[in-house]
Amino acid sequence: MNAGGEQALREQLESAGYIADEDLATTLWLAGELQRPLLLEGDAGVGKTALATALARAQGRRLVRLQCHEGLDLSQAAYEWNYGRQLLAIRLSETGAERLREADLFGRDYLLQRPLLQALLSEDPCVLLIDEVDRADEAFEAFLLEMLADHQITVPELGTLQARHVPLTVLTSNGTRELSDALRRRCLYHHLDYPTLAREMAIVKRTLPQTESALVEQAVAFVQRLRREDLDKVPGVAETLDWVRALHRLQFKALPEDPQGLMQTLGCLLKTRDDRFQIGPDRVRNLIEGRRSVGVAEKAAA
Amino acid sequence: MPVAPARAQPLEAIAGFAALLREHGLKVGVAEHQAMVQAALALPLSGGAAPGGPTSGPVWRESRISAAWRAVACHDLRDWRRWPDLFERYWYPERLKGTVKVSGQTRPSRDLREVVQQLQQSLDSGGAQPPRPGGAAADAALEDRPADGDDPGLRRAQGGASRTEALHDRSLSMWLPQDLAQLEHLAERIAARLRRRLTRRWHDDVHGRRLDLRRTLRASLRTGGVPVQPAWRTPRRERPRLFILVDVSRSMETHAQLFLRIARAFVQAAGARVFVFHTRLAEVTPLLQRDSAAVQEKVNAVTAGFGGGTRIATSLADFVGVHARAQLGRSARVWVLSDGFDADEPHRLAEQLLRVRGRGGRITWFHPNPARPASAAMQACDGLIERFIPLHRLRDLALAVPLLH
Repeated sequence: MNAGGEQALREQLESAGYIADEDLATTLWLAGELQRPLLLEGDAGVGKTALATALARAQGRRLVRLQCHEGLDLSQAAYEWNYGRQLLAIRLSETGAERLREADLFGRDYLLQRPLLQALLSEDPCVLLIDEVDRADEAFEAFLLEMLADHQITVPELGTLQARHVPLTVLTSNGTRELSDALRRRCLYHHLDYPTLAREMAIVKRTLPQTESALVEQAVAFVQRLRREDLDKVPGVAETLDWVRALHRLQFKALPEDPQGLMQTLGCLLKTRDDRFQIGPDRVRNLIEGRRSVGVAEKAAA
Repeated sequence: MPVAPARAQPLEAIAGFAALLREHGLKVGVAEHQAMVQAALALPLSGGAAPGGPTSGPVWRESRISAAWRAVACHDLRDWRRWPDLFERYWYPERLKGTVKVSGQTRPSRDLREVVQQLQQSLDSGGAQPPRPGGAAADAALEDRPADGDDPGLRRAQGGASRTEALHDRSLSMWLPQDLAQLEHLAERIAARLRRRLTRRWHDDVHGRRLDLRRTLRASLRTGGVPVQPAWRTPRRERPRLFILVDVSRSMETHAQLFLRIARAFVQAAGARVFVFHTRLAEVTPLLQRDSAAVQEKVNAVTAGFGGGTRIATSLADFVGVHARAQLGRSARVWVLSDGFDADEPHRLAEQLLRVRGRGGRITWFHPNPARPASAAMQACDGLIERFIPLHRLRDLALAVPLLH
């Protein structure tokens, strides 16, 4: 029994630059303990991918990353036969005296390892990040099932390849497509939400230690209020970091009273035309002052 | 009748919790149940972790168990959001304020800390029998459970109507926020049943019937021009386009809000386009796509300008001629949620419905009253509307599942 394992993991993550809450640390620890993959869902920019990279850093493991996209197939994700080398071997055997058997052509030497197989056959334990799995096709999802449940990949010509070390697998999804129940049930699930005020401040201070404390506090409070507005694209942690970095580069020590000075930098936070249009100078002033609009009336933030 | 409340056995208590989760639509099968027990066994007891630290102590421990079980039992955002309530309801019913308590019933007291401790002790003491959740033990646990105030279904259902049934049978004009989860579940089931149609577009498929010459040639480059791995294509199947027209007139006042919720469930489950109409028609799909607190406010703002009579035919004309002109094809399903009282001339409604049918759309009419709408306008529409479905209770929608395809 690993007493305090999740607490230690949390500290490791913190030293790797990722501030995880207790629930997330428990889930991550459990994923390692039960050897189950972890499915992370949440809006873009809440730190799903960052978690996997931080986890690899924290545990001193290699990160193997598979970026999913539409049309991703087995040859890009798991393995591919090295056709060029096979052809070359055939030509060489035709000219040389050595006779080539078919089994020789389909040996490990001719197998190109793609991320999934790399993670399974890695000499050392690694972290496997299957990023944006919802962008891949359903057929690929079905292929993943064998890998996620049994930690093995079957290559028809070669047999079943078992994992040397079970990789700590993290799948991320933005919810562009509904994932199958079969995939979901093989994973532990965690939904990453936007961080709380205190956690987001800690993240920003940790990532940008040179920034003025007052600026960080005010800027994060501003972003937190901005998230409550009805936006097309709610700014994530990555956007907050960009914005604070921009403000720091522009020599701001704190948020200015005059919203005009901020308007040029809001491109770091607001990524659609509608959102830019909606958040004008007046709304920015209200947000700076901590007021938010409710219907037509305005009231002070609690 | 036991005098003292019985202590639930740890496995039984967890099995009961798993049953509660299943009752509420979470997919907790044998594997999940097993993982929950494993997680309870694996997590260190509160005293052992971070000694003296601010996070040690029973509260800390329970939240760890909750987080671990949540990761195991929840599979999507909906489950995720419902978890805290379900967890509290089962393990800490006393913390829930304002709920109705049924007196005169005994129930085994549940102490999560004790349950986990007992589990871990049974393992430490050599584990005479390893826990076998989901198997015979879990089934027996379910059967032995005494009548329980919290858990719907199970034993109470035998005596008469269970709480689940009561929920289904309540009129939709008295809907509660709790019904929404069931509604979303139903919408997903219906969306999954919508029959996919063949289109003239093709997409890559290893089991396809048509050779994709361009990709085959491209792939053959790596094998020295020999097409070792041909690429195949198959026609794409698409889900039918779903249009939902919600009547928000005064006669529908009590139902309109829930009908919009139903429509919203289909926007999320099946990508439906939703329109509201009264004396004119407006699309509200973008407002329903986002889960924002301001949705209802916006829908109200859109519908606020309306008042007075209902002009279904005029609204339908607008729908066919303007809004859905390009999309109303052979695979379109048009669902009208209305009581059928139309202020336009009676014959016009039939004309407009005929236009929808002429374009290939299939019309289903959901009416809020148990009886079919019998207004003059509706009487002229016989034969044009494929199906009338009463939508008076949530059960009506559940009964309609096999009909909607």
